[in-house]
Amino acid sequence: MGSNRTGWLLLAPTLIILGGFGIVPFIYVLWVSFHQWNPFGANPAMIYNGADNFRRLVFDTEFLQSVWFTMQFGFFAVVSEIVIGYLLAQLLMRDFPGKSIFRTIHTLPLIVAPIVVGSVWRLMTTPSIGIIPYYLNHWFGYQMNIGSSATAAFVTTVVMDIWHWTPLVTLTLLAAIVGLPKDPFEQAQIDGANRWQIFWHITLPMIRPAILATVFIRLMDALRTVDEIWMLTGGGPGAATRYVGLHIWKIVFPKTDYGYGSAISVIVLYLTLVMCWLLYVGLVAPRVKRST
Amino acid sequence: MAEVTIKNIVKRYGELEVIHGVNVDIADGEFVVLVGPSGCGKSTLLRMIAGLEPISGGDLSIGKRIVNTMPPKDRDIAMVFQSYALYPHKTVAENMGFSLKIKGAPKAEIDAKVRQAAGVLDLTKLLDRYPRQLSGGQRQRVAMGRAIVRNPQVFLFDEPLSNLDAKLRVAMRVEIKELHQRLKTTTIYVTHDQIEAMTMADKIVVMKDGYVEQIGAPLDLYDNPANVFVAGFIGSPSMNFLRGRIRSEGGVQRFVSDHGSVLPVKPIEVEDGRPVIYGVRPEHIGLGAEGLAVKVAVVEPTGAETQLFARAGEDTIDALLRDRVGVRAGEAVNFVIDPQKAHVFDQQTTKRLS
Repeated sequence: MGSNRTGWLLLAPTLIILGGFGIVPFIYVLWVSFHQWNPFGANPAMIYNGADNFRRLVFDTEFLQSVWFTMQFGFFAVVSEIVIGYLLAQLLMRDFPGKSIFRTIHTLPLIVAPIVVGSVWRLMTTPSIGIIPYYLNHWFGYQMNIGSSATAAFVTTVVMDIWHWTPLVTLTLLAAIVGLPKDPFEQAQIDGANRWQIFWHITLPMIRPAILATVFIRLMDALRTVDEIWMLTGGGPGAATRYVGLHIWKIVFPKTDYGYGSAISVIVLYLTLVMCWLLYVGLVAPRVKRST
Repeated sequence: MAEVTIKNIVKRYGELEVIHGVNVDIADGEFVVLVGPSGCGKSTLLRMIAGLEPISGGDLSIGKRIVNTMPPKDRDIAMVFQSYALYPHKTVAENMGFSLKIKGAPKAEIDAKVRQAAGVLDLTKLLDRYPRQLSGGQRQRVAMGRAIVRNPQVFLFDEPLSNLDAKLRVAMRVEIKELHQRLKTTTIYVTHDQIEAMTMADKIVVMKDGYVEQIGAPLDLYDNPANVFVAGFIGSPSMNFLRGRIRSEGGVQRFVSDHGSVLPVKPIEVEDGRPVIYGVRPEHIGLGAEGLAVKVAVVEPTGAETQLFARAGEDTIDALLRDRVGVRAGEAVNFVIDPQKAHVFDQQTTKRLS
């Protein structure tokens, strides 16, 4: 009994934090999502309206479009981050002059707050003062204006996310690569494999768990990006970069439609879980099954 | 199958030279063991043959081709690593078939060859398992199977049995030897274990500090070691060494140790009083009525044989007797040495004189 109490005592801080900041707000959001609630409106009371919010969002093209944009954003950002991150990790496995300085600088974006990243990128992409439109025009004669071109805005958000988060991927994959045993690679050379075959048949399968873990983390993060995008494009032009996180924010805060915003949050959480589950079923589970 | 010629091979890491012009000729189908204490350069030499380490000087040829700068994948060799180096994410069958798959061999051919090798190595039931589901001995066999499937010109083994327990090591030793007798593929085998070297090799290359100390057939090295190092390295338990001088008395040469023990030698042409090292194997010492008087310090019976650790004054001598003897620690006995089987080495050069 005594040891049981000690156990609970030791678990208490975690449970309190998890409960206070995770479970209770989630249940609250779930509760709000079944109501119509505008606390700043004429009638600030919460009015129960059953599944009306959910019924509404199934036919809400604005919402569905934002989900579609978010998925595109997540796909392009995460795939690019994995590819670039892997190449950088391989680069950092080699020795070259200035390697440690490069590694430090390359990691810096990670410690910058998203809101600051958004501001900096906004400055850099603003036509007439930004460095990026200037050089794109100077070198390629391309007029970049993320305020008017949906494609430019979308690409810029993806590039910003890559700039911000690739270092995380690099570090994770670097850790995975450093931890690989050396012998199978020498064995593969002796077995007659060339570089590409070694990468495809040996390296990739061996760091696969690390890649998958990184994809999960980055995908979940990308699906809920708000502040950087809000700072950079504000969701525009039109709704071209209004990803779900931003969409929810717009519904809940400027529009003060708390009930509907909560319902979208719940659905987005559900969609994220489903996507991760599909990834897991498609990529992880077959391996696990084969190897047991 | 092919012969391997190692000619004046040198290995340098920057300024540091670790292998100093090694020469070894390996005939087609021969089983050669590179043996020596750790750090002697044997593994480095093997890795140079495999192409995993660049060669700093000299010529290496496999078959008739000089392969100094040829990448490993083109050398047509198979290697078994100490760690087995199995691909953890591939099944046993995939591990064994990988080299053929890389070459683009048809699936049916890969299957047939893998099945055949698996049959030889008793792995048929394990083909769908992953390496982590296998025991050490099974992994070892998979690593060998992977080599056999290739049907390469040369097999390279880098301490393949070091990670196995003693019993399994003996069993695998026999298997590897049998395999070689069946396949007759040129084999280069690295080990630090002189028993492995003695039991498996057609030819042993004893290395130390990047030099070859002696090359020869196992029993030749045992009977006629070139120097003190080889004499002490080959044979277990190790040879007894005593420092002293050769003295002639009435035309009969004898060895007198620095501590005064007198031991017989066969006639050799050295001047009287020459400082030498006297070497005799424990198994060449017997008990008798006359001979060197010693006091037994420790008796180690192992059933088949009995090992006696004895002292003659300050000298320590170790004898291995084939039969059981009723000697106890502290007893005084006489050690009889056959002078034909004793060796005399020069103290300066450590080379054998007798």
